Amino acid sequence: MTTITLETLSKEFDDVVAVNGIDLTVRDGEFLVVVGPSGCGKSTTLRLLAGLETPTDGEIRMDSRDVTGAEPKDRNVAMVFQNYALYPHMTGRRNITFGMNAAGSFTDEEIDRRVAKAAETLDIADLLDRKPQAMSGGERQRVALGRAIVRDPDAFLMDEPLSNLDAKLRIQMRAELTRLHAELGTTTVYVTHDQTEAMTLGERVVVMDDGRIQQVDPPQALYDFPTNRFVAEFIGDPAMNMIDVELEGGAAVHDAFRIPLPAGSAEGETGAGTEPLADPDAGGRRHAVLGIRPEDLHLARERPDLGETTFDATVEVTEPLGDSLLVHCSIGNETVKMGAEPRSSLEPGGAVSVGYDPERLHLFDPETGEAFYHSATATAPADRAEPVVTD
Amino acid sequence: MSTREIFDGRLEAALLLAPTAIVSAVFLYYPTALAFRTSFFESGFGRAPEFVGLENYVSLLGNPEYHSSVLISVVFAAIVVVGVIAVSLYLTFLIHEVDAGQGWYLISVIWPYALPPAVGALVFLFMVHPTLGVLTGPIEALGIELDWFNDGPQAFVVVALAAIWKQIGYNVIFMIAAMKNVPDALTETAEIDGVGRLRRLVSVYVPIMTPTLFFLVIIDTIYAFFGTFAFVDLLTSGGPSNATNVLIFDLYREAFSFFNFGTASAKSVVLFLVVAVLMAVQFRLTEEYSYYGA
Repeated sequence: MTTITLETLSKEFDDVVAVNGIDLTVRDGEFLVVVGPSGCGKSTTLRLLAGLETPTDGEIRMDSRDVTGAEPKDRNVAMVFQNYALYPHMTGRRNITFGMNAAGSFTDEEIDRRVAKAAETLDIADLLDRKPQAMSGGERQRVALGRAIVRDPDAFLMDEPLSNLDAKLRIQMRAELTRLHAELGTTTVYVTHDQTEAMTLGERVVVMDDGRIQQVDPPQALYDFPTNRFVAEFIGDPAMNMIDVELEGGAAVHDAFRIPLPAGSAEGETGAGTEPLADPDAGGRRHAVLGIRPEDLHLARERPDLGETTFDATVEVTEPLGDSLLVHCSIGNETVKMGAEPRSSLEPGGAVSVGYDPERLHLFDPETGEAFYHSATATAPADRAEPVVTD
Repeated sequence: MSTREIFDGRLEAALLLAPTAIVSAVFLYYPTALAFRTSFFESGFGRAPEFVGLENYVSLLGNPEYHSSVLISVVFAAIVVVGVIAVSLYLTFLIHEVDAGQGWYLISVIWPYALPPAVGALVFLFMVHPTLGVLTGPIEALGIELDWFNDGPQAFVVVALAAIWKQIGYNVIFMIAAMKNVPDALTETAEIDGVGRLRRLVSVYVPIMTPTLFFLVIIDTIYAFFGTFAFVDLLTSGGPSNATNVLIFDLYREAFSFFNFGTASAKSVVLFLVVAVLMAVQFRLTEEYSYYGA
């Protein structure tokens, strides 16, 4: 069990800044997911943690120990790679034991005992005598996990471990990882570009972009109270609709609609850099970007309970998703996406009346992209922490 | 009939094949057949060949000098092949691991291979000449009396070292390519697990590189038997007291110093058979132990 602390950690490759002075604390026993688009610095951060890269600046501490310059082997971490990184010429068992044997700090009996336990935990007993080429992707990743857990490391570092698996297996392995973490309680840092994975796995999620941390929060808080446009658009699929509006007398005004803004949390507890919504600087008018998630927009006829205020839109394209219908429609000169009942009959070109959930409105500064208003009153974000299982 | 029509007609295919076929036939298959035929004749310079059947082979069987030449050749080849592979592998690993100046290290390792064998032999001669050699002083400072013009075992070692030195570059070129193909994640996993460097080389890199290594063992074996002629010729001329009289040099001398073409041909057939048997064994082992990817 280990707390990992990063302080103003930076990594530059020649003139490319991969990680730009990040501060982060990974709590003892936490499952922390780092998510972001390609090239955001998430993998580099993980490699810095593992000791595979040397930081340009900053400090890494594990508990109170400064490991910034320590060799990978002296950090007692285990890493799981996207491509499994199994030794192709060794059997499953040898793959698991090779590192322990080579490190020389375990007796044979101890190794056997640990392998047996890991095999039981991961249900890989029948894979131990097979070589990787005779295993499926999921089986390989299980063996790779086995190799990580036998050493009983202070922390697991996982670099997109599920990305090479097919969709069905990915969902299954996701659940297994959650179970494994509940069982072992080892501090885990998990890197992914898949926001669904981030939301489902992480106790807290770090969103990174351009080498910087954009937000660190539990998944629901991240979804409900994004601190800026990047987070708002990155988390959630399909992405949040962004509409340019004017703020006027407590309402968001657009050519096609006027949406009154509930009192809300002008300084939501998760919203950094917030400014008061009321009384903006000049003349009571102010540019802003209104953010509404597609699932918070509805056909007015389907959800009459949402209130009187609706606006008109023209249907452009419909995408049936099975459990719902994704409707692309235009409001004035903006295109927005919205959810509808799965079997709604909507014709392209047809006019619809659109309602919205007044509890789920967000406003962003058009210049900085910072969120400065969420219509929901921020309550304490629900903590998704799993009950700790102890032996 | 071929199921794939790559060429417009058979004529085009034949024309494209012709240069290789002609060169192989004139310079390879015809001389081979001729050598095989000559080995059954008593044939010398200016004398009419006389058919003697297997007599040349029989006399080789009873010739203790020839037996020692076979033994010397096999031992020499074993030392050269093992030496070349081991030294090249270690040098490749060092170059692979180094961060700065990889290209320069690579060039300095490869350059002996770029020399013609005869030039290589002369360069080596001037490096370790018993009286004039550049390296002779330092070596003798270690307490070794360098006298390989007269000392058989020393001469054997010198020729073997020269042969190894010359062939390292060729091996490193292939090995560095194979080593770079080992996925980085395996290296990183080994580093995180605390696997030592040499252990990583032997237990992770070498097994993955086996197809390349077996190819090099084959090439190096052929080199050790056939390609080391210049070193023997220029450094020791097979001496002292036949200590370095490997088969390829022995049969050259038989043919072009003593003009016993029949005996020389028989010797070349035997050399061919020795190498062929070794190749067969190596191919068998290759099939068994080589790892060909997942």
